[in-house]
Order: sequence, then C-alpha cells, then structure tokens
Amino acid sequence: MSVLPALELIRHTELRFVLDAVDDDHVPYAGGTELVPALRLGLRRPTAIVDLKRVHGLTTVEVDAPARRTLIGAGVTHRELATNPAVAEHAPTLAGAAAHVGNARVRSTGTIGGNLCFAEPRSDLGCILVALDASCEVRSSRATRRLPIADLLVGAFEISLEADEILTEVAVPFEPVGLSYWKLQSFERPTLGVALIRGDASWEITVGAATERPTRVVIDVGDTIAVDTFVDGLELSDDLSGSPSYKRAVLRTYLAEALRGPAS
Amino acid sequence: MRTTAAELLRDQLKLTGTKVSCELQVCGACTILVNDAPVSSCCMLACDLDGTTVLTVEGVANGRELHPLQEAFVETNALQCGFCTPGFIMMTLGLFAACPAPDAAKVREWLDGNLCRCTGYQPIETAVLLAAERLQDGTARA
Repeated sequence: MSVLPALELIRHTELRFVLDAVDDDHVPYAGGTELVPALRLGLRRPTAIVDLKRVHGLTTVEVDAPARRTLIGAGVTHRELATNPAVAEHAPTLAGAAAHVGNARVRSTGTIGGNLCFAEPRSDLGCILVALDASCEVRSSRATRRLPIADLLVGAFEISLEADEILTEVAVPFEPVGLSYWKLQSFERPTLGVALIRGDASWEITVGAATERPTRVVIDVGDTIAVDTFVDGLELSDDLSGSPSYKRAVLRTYLAEALRGPAS
Repeated sequence: MRTTAAELLRDQLKLTGTKVSCELQVCGACTILVNDAPVSSCCMLACDLDGTTVLTVEGVANGRELHPLQEAFVETNALQCGFCTPGFIMMTLGLFAACPAPDAAKVREWLDGNLCRCTGYQPIETAVLLAAERLQDGTARA
C-alpha cells in the first residue's frame, strides 16, 4: 500500500520531449524535496510527474567569463552547489548557504531549480540570488525567455511561470566584494535571512524568509534613517518561529551591527 | 510509479531495518545511501533508484561481524530504543564517504537533521568520533 496517489512517470533525456510533456497535470519533478510531501498531503494532484533529472544539460555548471557570471543548471543539487569549485570561486556566499540548506539528505536531492520554483519564502538561495541580481532561463515548447529571479518569485509559493514552462538555468553574476549573508534559524528552515552588499556608495539590503518574497532596497551609505524606514515598512510573517515584532527587532539589531564601521 | 524507496525496501524486499517516521525529511530515520550520498527513502521515489548503488543498514555489517561504526555505537551506549539508529548509522557512513576524518563540529552539523529521543545525542557524537578515529588509524577494518 503506497502513501502516494497513482502517478505516471514520464522520463526523457532530451529537453524538447520534456517541454512537450509538461502542463498542469504533468508536472516537473526533480529532487522531490517539496513535491513528494505535497503529493502525499494531496496538495498537488497531477496525473503524471515529468522527471527532469536525466535531461541532458540541466545539471551542469559553466563559467561565462566574458559576462562575469556562472551558469547553473536548474537540476544542480544543493550538495553540488556547495562543493562545485566554480561556484565556490565566483559565488562563495551562495555556495556557503547551499552547504547549510535543510540537512545533508535534502542537499543530496534538492535542486536550485526546485528551491526557486516551489517559492517557499523561507529560502536562503532565493534571498541571495535576488541580492546578486541573478536571472534565469525559462523554456517551453513555444519560446525561451530570460527573467530576473526577483520577477520569478512573485509571492509565497508563487512564481511567474506558465504551466508549460520549465526553469532550465540560473545565471549568477560573479559575487561583488562586500556581500554577506546572515540568517536566524531555529527549525528546519530560516526564520530570517539578510543578504547585504556594502558598496562604496550604497548599502544593498535584501531581506528574505520572513517576507513573502525576497525584498531588496538600495540605500546611500550612512543613511541609517532610510534603513529604519525600510525595516519598519516590511511586512513580516507571523508563525511558530516568531512574531513580526520579534523578527523586526532582530532585523533592526542585526543591520545596526552589520552596517557599523567601515566596510571590510 | 508511486512507490517510495522506503516502501520498496520495507514492504516488497522485506528489508525493515530502514525505519519510517516523519515522512518530511526532518527525522532521518529512513536514511539510506544512494551512490554514497544520504537520502530520505521516505521522500524518494523507488524509480529514482534505477541504475544507482543503494546501501541500507542491512548491508553494513560483514555477516555476523559488526562494522566499526556499529561497534562504537554499542560500546558507547549510543542507542537505547534503537528506532533512530539505522538512520544515524547510514547518515554517518554518508559523512565518512564525504569526509573521512570529521571533527566534533562537523559531526554535529552533519547529524543535525537526525532526531533521537533517547540518548541526548552526546553518546552518538562520541561513537561517531571513536569510529572515525579507528577507521583512520587502521585499528578497525574499513
């Protein structure tokens, strides 16, 4: 007796066949980290799952040196993200965060594409990728398009893809000097995540996990009043990991400390 | 297609050493190694095992001879009720595959996603470090 409903498996090695297969009832499937529990709980009721794991080209990492970015296949797991030398060199903060996503089992199977497409707000990667101004490639049998991760993540558990579209690649600009990521976490997922870029002229602050989607602001260096205004205006989630006022107090305190003194 | 790896192992192959508890990848009781990497068998579809090398707790001992990690668990009282133990053993073997000489901090971080309600964890950490040391200095068989 299975805990899962009846499902058809569609498996191809070529992307074009996969693109022909996906729609509302035939859903993309990779690590299963989010999809399998959702199927078990009856939150998703597709007739088929379309396996992306064996599709050529979805699990590679390439450095696009002229454009100063790293191209990460949507099927790259958190474990690969954490250990890939190119990611470690050009996106060390992303690699460091990937090394601490969930637990070692989740990291073995969960993918960067799945993490983004499920759009769980309590995600480290989404916050860092928005801070880095990363973009993604989205393909369907109709067209190929590219959009910023900030436009992919439109809300909690909500992305801007059509049912026949698949996220194929994440393009991550080389990490700027001065990027840091800090998170508060008590349970399996982050309670609050903050990606910070301390530049010469500006502070770029991206807040995730406690917000519906990563929220980014650019503030002139030294304008602490603008920082306070930003923090006060954020809509923060209320859940078992903390109240909005608690999360706001932690965020305010963290930013006051992190922005103090000269940039390292 | 809807059979999970845990169902294949437990119900069809009758390999019941792998336990199922939370079904959310939180507790670690169902951990198996797939190509040396730890995965939650409760959340992995059996069809994904096709073409891989799978190790469950049944395959860890050499006949009647316990693996050094299992011996260390026994010696340091790293189990009481034993329900979580197969998960901890498999998770730790996944750690040794990736990092043969972990320090205490690495062990704690790696086992962070496994729950034990009996031991208080300290004996488990002790057992893992003891086994790592023995496997490293050759006083135990690999």
